[in-house]
Amino acid sequence: MVANNYHEEEALGKVYDARLMKRLLTYLRPYRVAVVSAAFMLLVVSLLQVAVPHLMKIAIDDYIGKNDLDGLTNIGLLFAAVLVAGAAVRYGQTYLTIWLGQKVLHDIRQQVFAHLQRMNLAFYDKNPVGRLVTRVTSDVNTLNEIFSSGVVAIIGDLFTLALIVGVLLHYNWRLALITFTVVPLLVAVTFVFRAKVRNVYREVRARVAHINAFLQEHVTGIKVVQLFNQEDSAFRKFDEINLSLRAAHFRSIYYYAMFFPTVEIISTLAIGLVLYFGGFRIESGLMTFGELVAFITLVEMFYRPIRDLSEKYNILQASMASSERIFNLLDTSSTIVSPTSPCKLEHCTGRIEIENLWFAYNNDDWVLKDVSFSVEPGQKIAIVGATGAGKSSLISLFYRFYDYQRGSIRLDGIELKQMAIDSLRSHLALVLQDVFIFSGDIAGNVRLRDDDISDDQVREALHRVGFDRFLRRFEDDIGSEVRERGATMSTGQKQLLSFARALAHDPDILMLDEATSSVDTETETLIQSALERLFEGRTSIIVAHRLSTIEKADRILVLHHGELRESGTHRELMRQQGIYHKLYRLQSRKQAVRIGKD
Amino acid sequence: MNANESKTTFSRFSTVTKYLGRYRWYLVVGVLAVIGANGLMLVPPYLTKLIFDRLETGSPMSEVGLLVLAMIGLSIASGICRFTIRRTIIWMSRHLEYDIRGELVAHLLKLSPSFYDKNRTGDIMARATNDLEAVRMMIGPAMMHIANTLVVATGALTMMAMLSPRLTLYALIPALVFPISMNKLGNMIHRRFLKIQEHFAHLTAVCQENLSGVRVVKAYRQEDHEIENFADLSEHYFKLNLSLGRLHAAFYPLFQLVATSLMLVVLYVGGRDVIRGEIELGTVVAFFLYLGMLTWPLIAIGWVVSLYQRGTVSLDRINQILNTTSDIPTGCAEPKSDEKSVRGKVEFRDLNFAYDEAPILNDLSLTVEPGQTLGIVGLTGSGKTTLVALLARLYPVARDQLFVDDIDINDWDINALRRRIGFTAQEPFLFSATVADNIRFGRADASIDEVAQVAQLAALAKDVDEFPDRYETMVGERGITLSGGQKQRVAIARAAMIEPTILILDDATSSVDTETEYEINQRINAHAEQLTTFIVSHRVSSVKDADQIIFLEDGRIIEQGNHEVLITLGRRYADLYRAQVLAEQLESL
Repeated sequence: MVANNYHEEEALGKVYDARLMKRLLTYLRPYRVAVVSAAFMLLVVSLLQVAVPHLMKIAIDDYIGKNDLDGLTNIGLLFAAVLVAGAAVRYGQTYLTIWLGQKVLHDIRQQVFAHLQRMNLAFYDKNPVGRLVTRVTSDVNTLNEIFSSGVVAIIGDLFTLALIVGVLLHYNWRLALITFTVVPLLVAVTFVFRAKVRNVYREVRARVAHINAFLQEHVTGIKVVQLFNQEDSAFRKFDEINLSLRAAHFRSIYYYAMFFPTVEIISTLAIGLVLYFGGFRIESGLMTFGELVAFITLVEMFYRPIRDLSEKYNILQASMASSERIFNLLDTSSTIVSPTSPCKLEHCTGRIEIENLWFAYNNDDWVLKDVSFSVEPGQKIAIVGATGAGKSSLISLFYRFYDYQRGSIRLDGIELKQMAIDSLRSHLALVLQDVFIFSGDIAGNVRLRDDDISDDQVREALHRVGFDRFLRRFEDDIGSEVRERGATMSTGQKQLLSFARALAHDPDILMLDEATSSVDTETETLIQSALERLFEGRTSIIVAHRLSTIEKADRILVLHHGELRESGTHRELMRQQGIYHKLYRLQSRKQAVRIGKD
Repeated sequence: MNANESKTTFSRFSTVTKYLGRYRWYLVVGVLAVIGANGLMLVPPYLTKLIFDRLETGSPMSEVGLLVLAMIGLSIASGICRFTIRRTIIWMSRHLEYDIRGELVAHLLKLSPSFYDKNRTGDIMARATNDLEAVRMMIGPAMMHIANTLVVATGALTMMAMLSPRLTLYALIPALVFPISMNKLGNMIHRRFLKIQEHFAHLTAVCQENLSGVRVVKAYRQEDHEIENFADLSEHYFKLNLSLGRLHAAFYPLFQLVATSLMLVVLYVGGRDVIRGEIELGTVVAFFLYLGMLTWPLIAIGWVVSLYQRGTVSLDRINQILNTTSDIPTGCAEPKSDEKSVRGKVEFRDLNFAYDEAPILNDLSLTVEPGQTLGIVGLTGSGKTTLVALLARLYPVARDQLFVDDIDINDWDINALRRRIGFTAQEPFLFSATVADNIRFGRADASIDEVAQVAQLAALAKDVDEFPDRYETMVGERGITLSGGQKQRVAIARAAMIEPTILILDDATSSVDTETEYEINQRINAHAEQLTTFIVSHRVSSVKDADQIIFLEDGRIIEQGNHEVLITLGRRYADLYRAQVLAEQLESL
């Protein structure tokens, strides 16, 4: 999964993509008022910023120049007031911008997560979990920069620049124009720098991805490397990549090393021009000292945003790539959805009819071929067959985890595809072969996040599957901590817990994919009696491996290479001496090998 | 990360400092350039003062012109110095990054599998990339900024003190607020940031779990509850971020407030002095410019402190790997055997092995003669794979328990031994390279004919003929996806390529059908008669023809003999055999 990401990252999008930007901005729509207020505050900040040199000019020309100490005190106080006001407004503006950015991220994060919850299983089969997690977490966070320092800051910078230009022209348009003569030079330098840096940045990214891919591959395959004595040749290969990365970095250092001093020289050139030509104007009385000081300060302010440019550029590029990945995910929609006007099933008896069912994960690779059977309410059906016969696939079709291509499955006479998915699943409970335990506590694993299930109901369910004997060993009863994937529990405990989960949700129909892993005899007895409780009074469909489960079933269906080959009770099928007969003997052999008691 | 016993402990910085010697000239020139650049930048404000003084006294413009030219000249000289700083100090940091990364990877390639069992791939990669970058930032940019700050601060303060000691003193009073407030704010930011990181990790874990358990979530219709729960987590994350945002929002205005209030003080006090005729206007202007020069280095202090903190944490993480040593001895001083004459006799003498506490193999004794084939069967977890992994020296073995050609395995030169062992695993790892390169992985100089020859041995040749570029076809993510059986056969070919004396097939044909498997075994046997072979398998058919078969349970040999003997014995092996015969019959129905 990691390697995948890195390869993906190699393909870099554009730095600025108007289409993506437009879509990103739609997320600001609910916060129009905040956006407008932030922008307004930003204007005020810019104004106050430019006011500082202007106040200096007044102080120098009108008071210091005219030896007016009282006036100087007054202007000093005004100066202080402007500073405090400026700081206050800037604080408000920054905070509001951060609020805005985080709010939007919160919205996008939720949207992406909710979207993932709606995706069908085929999607999960194709996309590694790690990659999806990255979309919800890191990728969303990367967007932060666009909202908090990108959009708003750029608007602010532009406004400040415009304001400075205006004030300079106002003070002395001739001198201002002389100062601006260096601007084309600056634009040219920046333009060249941008082009060079963009290429080298791409190169660096590609080589970093290369290094990551190498590491990922060689860490995963370390045994092979060592067993075949290839440590040295692997290192030589790595050294090549490492060298090429260093070379790319060197190029990038070179451009940055050229750019920053060049901008500084240009800005000194501008100040030199101001001083020299400004000096002439003072000589001839066309300009005051204060104006000259203000001019110099403003010209310095003029260059600041330009220096930040390269930084913002990198940030913007990363954000664009992330937003593209997020939008791609959001634009992929689930292929399995509820019908627009679903049939309602108020009371479910648990009658199931399957007719000429065909199913394939891909194209014509049929996993189930023309399967038909029906189940009466309250019946217990065992599905048996060798590995790959299509048993688990059949179960997932009931849940509409996947959609079947031909034929039909009907629940109480209603075709599954006609029902709302949510309402369909509310009648079923699934126990998977590979029990999934969430980190949290025991109760949480029984009720999941369904708060309608009370603590007492949780306890009752645990009691009925016989889990309470283990419960005593845990410290905090049903509130005892359970670690990710149930790391602290035995296989048997995990299975019982998943039975309790199914019981607590009290389904009309139970679907069980029996685990094949072996447990000790004591736990085996527990599991068998828990299973009886589970099957009690409800239609049950079991992908069965235990002989005991199989023998007690009302009917056994034998799937073989995707086809329903035999069906009947244990006795009938044994008499037939067909596939079931063989399977049964195989199963008893396996059980014998596994338990090891002969 | 303390996988193996650490024997040598470098002091924290020696990882970096041992390379510094190489780049001492970069350092010397870099520091000189820092002093030069900043020293030169100290002059223009003074020149500005002179210009203002000239303008006030009405000196000829030519003098002003000269001063302006001097200023531009100084700026160019300083620019050259600045270029040199990056070209030396940052340049050096990239050199160091390259050196350390190389050392790290070379070290990683030598660490034994037990290290990799205990550390996640992502974590190891993070150390070689993100952590290394943090260390580089500490050596390069942080060093550059700290040098800058020192030079600028001393220079600017000296110049200011020379112009007017009194004004300097006034200007410094608000400046004192800087380090104190920035430090305090910095600490608060750091704490809140840690909280955010923690919560982010939690949020990620919840998301990861939810997506991994998607079947349960969907089957029990928990989507809406999950969305709600996630919304709460995200909301909390939002609030934590805001609490940090409040500080961040304060940072810049506060800084600006302090910086500009310095100017205010200078303007007021300096202005008063000008009115009283005690100093010239030019001095006040120069003061403004010096203050402007000081502000950046002052912020940089806070930044440098955080770079240093992050850098040392990362350096420790890198050192952890470098201080880990392999738990497998690489060999003896004088090889006791010539690898060319390895016969392939393997003997286990009361072998005991445990990964941590749990014993995997117990008192196992067994001799395999040169050219013999040993079949190993048993349930999952019975120790089959561990047994052959020990022979390939993937895990350490105590002395006097395992012998190859009557020499203790610990006395073998590890590379010499491995050159004689061909190993394939059940889920073979293939590199994203061409089919040919994967096959000749252990013998890069093999010709394409030789590759084709071993592919033939592994019954792979026909498959390869159907690949788009035959042996030059890329496999893996950027190429074609091989089936499980094809991968296994590539791995067998890869092992056969090095013409081993001992061949280990660790469930290496589980995805290959029985007929092909038989074919492969026949060909390999015909090709190398004196090959000692270890076959681990779940399938009886794979080991049926072995000279000797052992059935392992809980790390012990419970049945031993050839196929006929074990069948006659009629116990576990026989059970397994009958179960598999049935399964095969079923398959063919």
